[in-house]
Amino acid sequence: MDLISDQGLRLDGRRPNELRKIRCKLGVFNQPDGSAYLEQGNTKVLAAVYGPHEIRGSRTKALHDQALINCQYSMATFSTGERKRRPRGDRKSIEMSIHLRQALQAVIKTELYARSQIDIFVEVLQADGGNYCTCVNAATLALIDAGIPITEYMVACTASLANGETPLVDISHLEETSGGPNLTVAAMPMSGQIVLLEMSQRFHLDHLDKVMKHALRGCQEIKAVLDKAVRDHVASAGAACNWEFKTD
Amino acid sequence: MAGMLLSEAEKTFILRGAESNFRVDGRKRLDYRPMELETDVVSHASGSARLRLANTDVLVGVKTEIDTPFPGRPNEGKLEFFVDCSANATPAFEGRGGEELGTEISNSLSRAYQSSYAFDLSTLCILPGQQCWKLYIDILILECGGNLFDAVSLAVKAALHNTRVPLVTAAAMDGAQVELHLSDDPFESKRLDVSGVPCLVTLCKIGDHCLVDPTAEEEVCSTASIVLAVSENAFITSVFKAGVGSFLPQTLHETFKEGQEIGIELNEALKAALEREEKEREDNEKSPAIQRYGFLK
Amino acid sequence: MLTTKTFLKKTKRGNILKIVREHYLREDIWCGSALCDKCPMSEPVLSENPESASELFSFPHYIVLDTCVVVHQIDVLEEKTLCNVIIPQTVIEEVKHQSSTIYKRLKDIIGNPGRNFYVFVNEHHMKTYIERQRGETANDRNDRAIRKTVAWYQSHLASSQSGINKSERVQILLLTNDGKNKELAAKEGLCVASVREYIQSLVGCPGLQDKLAVTEPERDGNAREYLFPPHLPPSLIHDGIKSGKLLQGTFYASRENFLEGHVNVEGQEKMILLQGHAGLNRAVDGDSVAIELLPEDQWSSPSDIVLQDEEDDPGDILDDRTEALSASRAASSERIPTGRVVGIIRRKWRQYCGILQPSPVKDTVRHIFVPAERKIPKIRIETRQSEVLASQRIIVAIDSWPRHSRYPSGHFVRALGPIGDKDTENEVLLLEHDVPHSQFSEAVNACLPKLPWIITDDDVAERQDLRHIDVCSVDPPGCTDIDDALHCRFLDNGHVEVGVHIADVSHFIRPGTALDKEAALRATTVYLVDKRIDMVPELLSSNLCSLRGNEERFAFSCVWEMTREARIVATRFHKSIIRSRAALTYEQAQLRIDDPAQKDAIATSLRELNRLAKILKRRRIENGALVLASPEIRFQVDSETHDPIEVEAKKLRETNSMVEEFMLLANISVAEKIVEEFPECAMLRRHPEPPVANFEPLVKAGHKLGFNIVTSTGKELAASLDEAVLPDNPYFNTMLRILATRCMMQAVYFTSGMLQPDEFFHYGLACPIYTHFTSPIRRYADIIVHRLLAVCIGADSTYSDLLDKRKSHALCHNLNYRNRMAQYAGRASVALHTHLFFRGKVQDEEGYVLFVRKNALQILIPKYGLEGTLYVVPKKGEVATANFVYNEEEQTQKCGDVTFRSFDPVTVQLSLDRSNLQHEKLVLKLVKPVIPGFSVPSSDEPIPMAIDEQDGGKCKDGSVVDTVSQKNKSSPSKKKRKK
Repeated sequence: MDLISDQGLRLDGRRPNELRKIRCKLGVFNQPDGSAYLEQGNTKVLAAVYGPHEIRGSRTKALHDQALINCQYSMATFSTGERKRRPRGDRKSIEMSIHLRQALQAVIKTELYARSQIDIFVEVLQADGGNYCTCVNAATLALIDAGIPITEYMVACTASLANGETPLVDISHLEETSGGPNLTVAAMPMSGQIVLLEMSQRFHLDHLDKVMKHALRGCQEIKAVLDKAVRDHVASAGAACNWEFKTD
Repeated sequence: MAGMLLSEAEKTFILRGAESNFRVDGRKRLDYRPMELETDVVSHASGSARLRLANTDVLVGVKTEIDTPFPGRPNEGKLEFFVDCSANATPAFEGRGGEELGTEISNSLSRAYQSSYAFDLSTLCILPGQQCWKLYIDILILECGGNLFDAVSLAVKAALHNTRVPLVTAAAMDGAQVELHLSDDPFESKRLDVSGVPCLVTLCKIGDHCLVDPTAEEEVCSTASIVLAVSENAFITSVFKAGVGSFLPQTLHETFKEGQEIGIELNEALKAALEREEKEREDNEKSPAIQRYGFLK
Repeated sequence: MLTTKTFLKKTKRGNILKIVREHYLREDIWCGSALCDKCPMSEPVLSENPESASELFSFPHYIVLDTCVVVHQIDVLEEKTLCNVIIPQTVIEEVKHQSSTIYKRLKDIIGNPGRNFYVFVNEHHMKTYIERQRGETANDRNDRAIRKTVAWYQSHLASSQSGINKSERVQILLLTNDGKNKELAAKEGLCVASVREYIQSLVGCPGLQDKLAVTEPERDGNAREYLFPPHLPPSLIHDGIKSGKLLQGTFYASRENFLEGHVNVEGQEKMILLQGHAGLNRAVDGDSVAIELLPEDQWSSPSDIVLQDEEDDPGDILDDRTEALSASRAASSERIPTGRVVGIIRRKWRQYCGILQPSPVKDTVRHIFVPAERKIPKIRIETRQSEVLASQRIIVAIDSWPRHSRYPSGHFVRALGPIGDKDTENEVLLLEHDVPHSQFSEAVNACLPKLPWIITDDDVAERQDLRHIDVCSVDPPGCTDIDDALHCRFLDNGHVEVGVHIADVSHFIRPGTALDKEAALRATTVYLVDKRIDMVPELLSSNLCSLRGNEERFAFSCVWEMTREARIVATRFHKSIIRSRAALTYEQAQLRIDDPAQKDAIATSLRELNRLAKILKRRRIENGALVLASPEIRFQVDSETHDPIEVEAKKLRETNSMVEEFMLLANISVAEKIVEEFPECAMLRRHPEPPVANFEPLVKAGHKLGFNIVTSTGKELAASLDEAVLPDNPYFNTMLRILATRCMMQAVYFTSGMLQPDEFFHYGLACPIYTHFTSPIRRYADIIVHRLLAVCIGADSTYSDLLDKRKSHALCHNLNYRNRMAQYAGRASVALHTHLFFRGKVQDEEGYVLFVRKNALQILIPKYGLEGTLYVVPKKGEVATANFVYNEEEQTQKCGDVTFRSFDPVTVQLSLDRSNLQHEKLVLKLVKPVIPGFSVPSSDEPIPMAIDEQDGGKCKDGSVVDTVSQKNKSSPSKKKRKK
């Protein structure tokens, strides 16, 4: 099928450089220290953060100079088109958990919490492409809600190449499975550093640069949306105390 | 719940409160906490519902699949429950930590739905002996604030009410294979009859009295509880006792009566809420975008 | 703005999935018109003042088309008259879904800037997107979307045209043929017209009306209607067969006509004919089906035209082609029982080789696969690698054939290699004929004896030592698996002792071992032109078992004492050790016989053997044995490239006949012996007498030229064939014999306990009992016979399977199947090499007319042993260059004053048509007799043409050839006459 129609529109009507609709909310639950809900198009993810707290399980895992980051990626059985048998524990979920940890560990100031553990649990309620990115973004929001210090936002975005020449940003599940290449990037938008890069299928080296730039630009745009949401949340939470907001 | 540490003073407080019919949060013994319910939250599932019972948050998704019926029961469909305790609720549920609790809840649900009065499986049959619908009811526990059984059962009932099973317009045999013809009209779908579906009512015994809808703290204090599955028309489809404590027969009898009344009320309240929501949705149908709040509210 | 689209999808496993997709609505979709001042378009497509050529609608207007208008009237649209047309996205999506060919044509029109066709993305436009409402069908919703688009355009352009006066404003006109749509549009105040009205109102384009499609089939709600009747469930089929209402049999598809086939019902002589899509009802060649006989007034006869499924994918519709079949409503005497398939009992699907026919729409995953075997229908597969696979031979397996689909669906298994490449084609050949050709496994190789192999004293003690006898073998040149050797010596009492020594394979292949199982599976050695697929590993076949010259080898000997008149006095069998003095070729042996100077033991034996053989042959022919002919050819293969250099027909010398006679004698003697000892489980070979009906074409052909071919017994047939000679046409007799060969049944192996003794008869050899004993290296049946014979003479022990009648019967079944497949594979290999040989060549050759058909002549070319079709009636879409009149009574084709009858000599020009990569065809064009406008001038010498100069398929008379398809009758021999 044509990923881009002759009129320059994608299958769902977006232009190649447009992101899906993002909606989010911080502080969804009371029990966890920090929680967030993020929707990117039809992909919906709930993230919860517990910590920093004492190391559960064996004490030997404790790191003497930094906090231990523990991530879990889990998908609800009804999240995909065909029902999933196990929500977590399969190889893909474990791999995602490891990638999550890799991304988040880069921004969390772990040196402030030696010998303790920070748990980040991510639950995918609906999966429609870009699961990993939504998880990373939701986890960032949850961390902010938990009050854990982070150096900056950790944002992830996907990109692909249609018809061998036009880069697409933020691909949906249908576009993922159509056989084109997929590029996932987790980056720190303000400093521009890339923490995780994953690519599948193949495309020519000449195009790699173009697609990466698009993905990074996508990250910037997502960060803008997340940032606004955080500011709104803080403003509404502090409205009772008359907090003022200085724009800087 | 793991991670809940109560001091002796707190425990005594709760005990006294139960005795004097004035609980920690101001409720009477037989009062429920306020609940929020929303259906059709997960669009990928055939039916879904989210229930917030104060601190307890449960998300249920129902998926339909085509399957062959059991050989001994060719006219019946199948129902399968799966409870997943998400680690979001507490870190102890990470990996396989929540499996025990999950199995307990799903087993109790299966027991409650076993009776044919509860849910008529013959409505799920497509072609007797060849094909039937199998409903996978997947329950995701997002937060535990006590009284999981009730919350789960209410959410399941709401999700089943919301479920739209694709309508089969024709089913025929072609050689040894079945050919199905489905209606492609999104408005034409099969609704499930949930009038007989029971709700679980937990009555936990603190001291000498039974409390309904215990909070997490109250649950720690109680030694035993009875869970009743009560349907709209006052049928009790299953009963079981949980916990290490014991009941006197007399207490049991009273408990059952109380539970039954509460169950009927609960069912009615749920029904009213569901109907209200549906009507609102229908009214909103004319407008282009139907508002679904999901977790955003 | 975001909405969602929900729909249900059926997965392959039969599950229903709910798919939810996002759907974004935009505000930046422009109208595309040059006169709009609101939309900032850089290059508007629709022109500012569209001129109206219509009388009915004289104001300037843009046209909006409905889906069915596009689909059915695409020819009208392709005309340059219609310009300034708006195609809503809804329409273009529906067209793509319904027919990919029309979609492609539409896209070509849109791509042409001079036509001013604009695609308006109405599904994503904020104002024109609508959702399906309760009670609306999908089609209604699409119609409503199109009407909404029209209404929007009207209001959108109105505001930009406020300055212009009303009658000159550009309006929007909706063209639709759907009555309901038109009504609703009129109600909504839109300008609407039917296509017919509009086209007829156009001034200055008279030819356009002719292009209007006349028939407007009902718009089907779903293209996925059921095309075939359903199959009955297995229980009903079972009941039907038990009660006799339904018949069970195997379905055989016709190679020439894809809409025809027949079913061979067990216990019934005549085949039941099946015709048409509904009659065949998704049966595939080889399936076991349940059929219902039609009432006698609906019976039909086989069509005698050739019909292939040539077209591009027409979508999931069935075209009746009744004109093709109605021609066969012949006289009632010609009708045969006809039926229809009501259920499939067992599918015999396997993996099929073939090529991909890529879809004209790019970026789609659904393609059509065309199998190499013409009897198998095309298959739909999904693959993303269509570009890579388009030039390769691929293997596809069928998954299912749903009722609503014209073709079965399957999946890609693997690719074999580039098309036309010799190795790939060989591989295809072997796979298609189910020939096991993999390397021998470790287990099999472990059963082989270790080298060096020596003859121990124990061996000598167990066997007769015949190393002192002058034994020699005579075989084709280049033969490495020598399984027989002969000797002859004069006895003191005036008689001769003749010995036939066969390689003692059963000594090396013990029953029950992996080697034995593999050999039983392969059943025979398969001979391709350039390759030999061995039944047993080479160590045995070419070395330890092979009776090589000057080597001591184990043998199983059959020794006769016979009079000088070749009457057998005594017969002895024993296991022996021999040392062959020489391994001669037929030619060498013949030279030795003919050269009087040679007087050594070998030469004398050969001469005596030759003399005796002639006596034996004469005796056989007197008994009624048949001497038949088949056009056998041999290829001379280039030793470097293994490409064929030259083709020649095989020559038969006296020595061929000599060896053959003694092999036959040995086989008969052994048959008699094993039946004596094992009346229940002996493995024999029989050749059933053909039913009288088989001989009809032969008798008819002979009758035409005034010869009476008597077919009542084999002897009379042989006699009448001998008499049917035309002095001025020496090849005529050979051709008659070729026809006779085709009437024959297959000779088959059987177990003696399964049939009555009078059924043991071998028709072709005219002997009451026969078996195969003389080639154990290349035939498994011979190994079994060896084992039986060994038990008879006490040289070996039995084992349970040998004596089990049922197991033996099952084994015969497999042997017969494999033999048949090996024959077909051999022929296909010859055909392949013929095609390779003719690549880049154009040659004139002599030929004879074999059959006269309604639309073609079957030509036989003796030099190459080829049979080809010379079409005299042009194919669909071509113009006839010469008028041929077919006379069915006389079986002639007449053009002007030239008449073609069976057995007439002709000269034809051969070349290769490579346009269909999978079926390269040899093209026949008539050279002599000359028919102006039809025949071509002769080419004096073969001109090697460059490959790309050949314009395949565009020959004036469209003659094509499909080589040597000798339909399952008796076999030509490979090395010796195998009966």
